[in-house]
Amino acid sequence: MSRHEPFAFEIPAAASVDSQVAYRRSSLWRDAFDRLVANRLAVVGMIIILLLFFTAIVGPYITPYDFLSQDLTARNQPPSAAHWLGTDDLGRDVLSRVIYGARTATIVAFSVTGVSLIIGIALGSVAGYVGGKVDSLIIWLTDFVMSIPSLLLAVVINLSLKTPLTYWMDDMYLATHNPLFRQTIWVDFALVFGALALVQWPSYARLIRGQILTIRNRNYVLAARALGLPRRRILVRYVIPNALGPIVVAVSAGLGQAMVLESAFSFLGVGVRPPIPSWGNMISDGLRVWRHYSHLLAAPAAVLGIVTVAFSFLGDGLNDALNPRQWKE
Amino acid sequence: MGRYILRRFLRWIPSTLLLILVVYALAFYGAGDPIKLIFLRAPGDVAWDPERIEAIRHAVGLDRPFLVQFGDYLWHLLHGDMGRSLITNRSVFDAISAAAPVSLQLGVAATLVMAVVGIPLGLLAALYQNSWLDNTIVAFALFIWAVPAYVAGPLLMVLLVLVLKIMDVPYGWDGLFSIKAIVPVLVLALNPLALVIRQARSAVLEVLAEDYIRTARAKGIPEYVVVFRHILRPVLTPVVTQLGLIMITIINGAMLVETVFGLPGLGRLTVRSTIDVDYPFIIAIALIGSFLVMVSNLLVDIIYPVLDPRAGQAQAGSE
Repeated sequence: MSRHEPFAFEIPAAASVDSQVAYRRSSLWRDAFDRLVANRLAVVGMIIILLLFFTAIVGPYITPYDFLSQDLTARNQPPSAAHWLGTDDLGRDVLSRVIYGARTATIVAFSVTGVSLIIGIALGSVAGYVGGKVDSLIIWLTDFVMSIPSLLLAVVINLSLKTPLTYWMDDMYLATHNPLFRQTIWVDFALVFGALALVQWPSYARLIRGQILTIRNRNYVLAARALGLPRRRILVRYVIPNALGPIVVAVSAGLGQAMVLESAFSFLGVGVRPPIPSWGNMISDGLRVWRHYSHLLAAPAAVLGIVTVAFSFLGDGLNDALNPRQWKE
Repeated sequence: MGRYILRRFLRWIPSTLLLILVVYALAFYGAGDPIKLIFLRAPGDVAWDPERIEAIRHAVGLDRPFLVQFGDYLWHLLHGDMGRSLITNRSVFDAISAAAPVSLQLGVAATLVMAVVGIPLGLLAALYQNSWLDNTIVAFALFIWAVPAYVAGPLLMVLLVLVLKIMDVPYGWDGLFSIKAIVPVLVLALNPLALVIRQARSAVLEVLAEDYIRTARAKGIPEYVVVFRHILRPVLTPVVTQLGLIMITIINGAMLVETVFGLPGLGRLTVRSTIDVDYPFIIAIALIGSFLVMVSNLLVDIIYPVLDPRAGQAQAGSE
């Protein structure tokens, strides 16, 4: 997958002390960054994703219209100067909804990745450190979850938790009269987080277990231990920096996957529900009227496509940059 | 070999049982009372009459303990009875056997497309490693791996129907050998195609580094013979090992593709029963989906030693 020249160490001709000072210090991360920047597709992907995060953060301040405000005199308008991406069947501005959709996608992606990473770190490190029966049990569990089609599993989990959670919210509202429990939006979001995290944790758990098992017995760790370095120092200076590369790669891929799964959920009608805009439910709405108002379909689909492709390119670039050992030839 | 297959099969039974238990428990505790769900949709206000609901629950045996009901369900399942729809009272088995052929044909066609296109592309990319051709193919694979079916499908439709005007709306099912089926099959093949290209590419790269390739070339064997006789055979192995993952992407994709193009297959059945909370269907479909993946994994484990004798020896050694 690599498109780089093999990394060439520049050896100074006359390695005097003075000339070495002039050389730029190249740390692990600096090297990786240089390799990443050399990959043009990855840089483009990174810029698009940074733009996406920026849009998600400042979204409400830059949308030209409120994403909910309807204008029934201007329904289904094609793109124009007033509405850059046109308006939908209720006269809502599509650009504003697409921008707000970036926010939904980003919130879901980060929360899902966070939750599944926590589960993955917990179970993965237990499996790696304890070993034996516990290890086989956890590995069997990850195998089990990974052998179920992910979208199907997430749908089943989402569906079966929805009813009890809704009832619980109703009961809590009746008991406390706290308006917080009337906001079903949070139920939707919580269900999407939960269902997707339960599908995604196994890959993190396996990765972290594998990292622990390999790095623990690497020669440099054994050497550090033989030298009598304190445990904390070994962990901070040797184990964590070396384990981090593949985890960064996995997290970047996981963010993209979570975003895709969220939009798939919304597309199928089980995830974030209207009126909260999500690219998935916008595509699903657009699919009903696309013969006549194709911009309603094309706008969210194109944005989602661009973002997922950007994640794919960035993930590939990060993989090449951070896991140089995987270079093929 | 026979012992190995038997052992694999025995190991596979507990996972399947656990799967059925989990899905059944999720539906049992989560989806809500089926009788109430039925009457909520029916005219009249039976749903709000606890005594009548309770009487019906008792009549159909829904007030029995969880394990008894689960055992009952398993027993029926073993006899091929998967229950009835909560909404239409249609037999789940009938509905699924009506929908399955559509999904099966789509899946087989997509698999063919993916193998016929993917393996040559991966081979080309590896033979011309680091050339512009390789870069293009790799970027293409990254691209189609990332684009979900509900993005590729609609955008293709807009392009083909509205912009280029070369076809009618591909909506509905007229059998596999109709113009309507082309776009859905292509879209379904996209994601697994990326997997095949990447696998084939790295497999060829690995084989190219082997000594026997160098020997074959040194003997003066024509390059095309080297490619077809020496390189291509071992390349199939890593592609075949991905069968389970390919199955997962096809099943996930079927749910989306069939929804986009309105195809009456298992995927759309899943989506519809999900929205209707028709959970006898959901349990059955979840079981079928995971069953397919598990069978593919089992098949891989059985076929793998045949394709690659070294793996077979390693397994024999470990037993």
